[in-house]
Amino acid sequence: MSDVQIKKFVVTRFDPDKDEVPRSDTFEVPCQSDWMVLDALNFIKDQLDGSLSYRWSCRMAVCGSCGMNVDGAPTLTCKSPLSSYGDTVEVTPLSNFPVIRDLVVELDGFMEKLKAVKPWIIRAKEKAVEEGPYRQSPEELEDFKQFSLCINCMLCYAACPVVGNEPDFIGPAAIALGYRYNLDSRDEGASERNAIFRGEGSVYSCSFANECSEVCPENVDPAAAINQAKLSGLVDWAASLVLPRGGKD
Amino acid sequence: MARAAHPQAMQPKKPGTTRTAPPKMPDGFPGKGRYRTYVAFETTGLIYLLMGFIILRAIWQLGAGEAGWNGVMDAYRNPIMIGFHVLALVGVIFVGVRFFWLFPKAQPPRIGPVRPPPAAILKGMLYSVWIGTTLVMTWVLAGGAF
Amino acid sequence: MKQLLIVLEPVIWFMFGQGIMIGTILLTGWLIVVGVGVPMGLFPADALAYERMHMLGSNVIGRVVLLGLIVLPLWKGAHHLRSLAVDFGGGDRDAIVGSLLYLIAIVGSLLGIVAVIRL
Repeated sequence: MSDVQIKKFVVTRFDPDKDEVPRSDTFEVPCQSDWMVLDALNFIKDQLDGSLSYRWSCRMAVCGSCGMNVDGAPTLTCKSPLSSYGDTVEVTPLSNFPVIRDLVVELDGFMEKLKAVKPWIIRAKEKAVEEGPYRQSPEELEDFKQFSLCINCMLCYAACPVVGNEPDFIGPAAIALGYRYNLDSRDEGASERNAIFRGEGSVYSCSFANECSEVCPENVDPAAAINQAKLSGLVDWAASLVLPRGGKD
Repeated sequence: MARAAHPQAMQPKKPGTTRTAPPKMPDGFPGKGRYRTYVAFETTGLIYLLMGFIILRAIWQLGAGEAGWNGVMDAYRNPIMIGFHVLALVGVIFVGVRFFWLFPKAQPPRIGPVRPPPAAILKGMLYSVWIGTTLVMTWVLAGGAF
Repeated sequence: MKQLLIVLEPVIWFMFGQGIMIGTILLTGWLIVVGVGVPMGLFPADALAYERMHMLGSNVIGRVVLLGLIVLPLWKGAHHLRSLAVDFGGGDRDAIVGSLLYLIAIVGSLLGIVAVIRL
């Protein structure tokens, strides 16, 4: 039989039709000992205040929907055990994002940045079907696999001090995903992406705080991708000064 | 209470139809936990900038002649200068420890056909070069050779 | 100005990277002896006597090391102070602040080259 403990949840509320600025509501929740923060939020919505708005989906840390700040730190609420927190838990929306309502943040800004880095295989010319599939060795897969594990939870954006101050900065997840394609042996678009990495929202805006990697729930290590992209961008830039550009690698 | 972020932070180019609450900076920024370490790391930029000009002045005076150089050495004996140099030494060591710890992750998975050494070995190499060079420079500058 | 900074960013970052890496490696020994050790009497003062320092500094290796000691910390410093300014709400002023800081680094670097040649 699980122990039940009453915990206080101080939750940000914001209704753009009623509230000038975000405010807080406090809820007392009888929590089971094995609950995650998300379970408590679901209890609040089901039993105490059905108007509470937040995103969640898979409950098992693969969809990236339930990212929020819990006691000031960005985390996936579905894998944040309440046993890690005290008797009062503060739940606020992800930092650095505009807030649409309660704990729901505006995601379109991220989607634009992600699309801007062209996160897909770019080929000068597609192989004809008769030529067979693209072959990739396990070693070639290892080169980029880590960066492909991103679930777009945006905890990294919430943790990054540069994201909050430089609106144009492409940001950790988008850079990691773009760089993932630079490392993919099937891709021929590295020069094109490196030019994007050197443009507005430049990867060089990153100041290596490393907070993105500290908070990433999937061990993507976006700081590694960003700083590797800086070096890659420098090499590409230097090469472009001396070599004729064919437009593709 | 978190500081305000840039009002345009993470805003889409075409705003939605609903009014949004403005973004806020990360909660611990700038003075708590890892953010404090990070801000201290950036603040060492002031130490480095000053050291560059301090050494510039010293070498300029070295080129000007004995009187100029001796003036620099006299100035370095001032307790304020000693205090600054001690602070600078602490700052430089802090930068080295943090940066060389993070450096391996900035290496690409391969350079041509060659993979960089594993992170632990690369860190060991960096720290060894740092310590070795420091020992050699200290030995030479302090009169151990030449 | 912002566009110029964007175009030059890779080489600025390269100089900053060398400033952190090589600048830190060189500064440590310099500070131990010249900044702290000799002034505090931990090392003999005549180790830094004019004739000896001039001899050490005026050969090829010495000039390269001294140039590194002057130039590289300037670029690390300028770039990090620019980042610091951005982190404290200076994103909109970044082009001006960054340009000013890099100008300081450029002036210092040019003077450093002259100083080393003069030895």
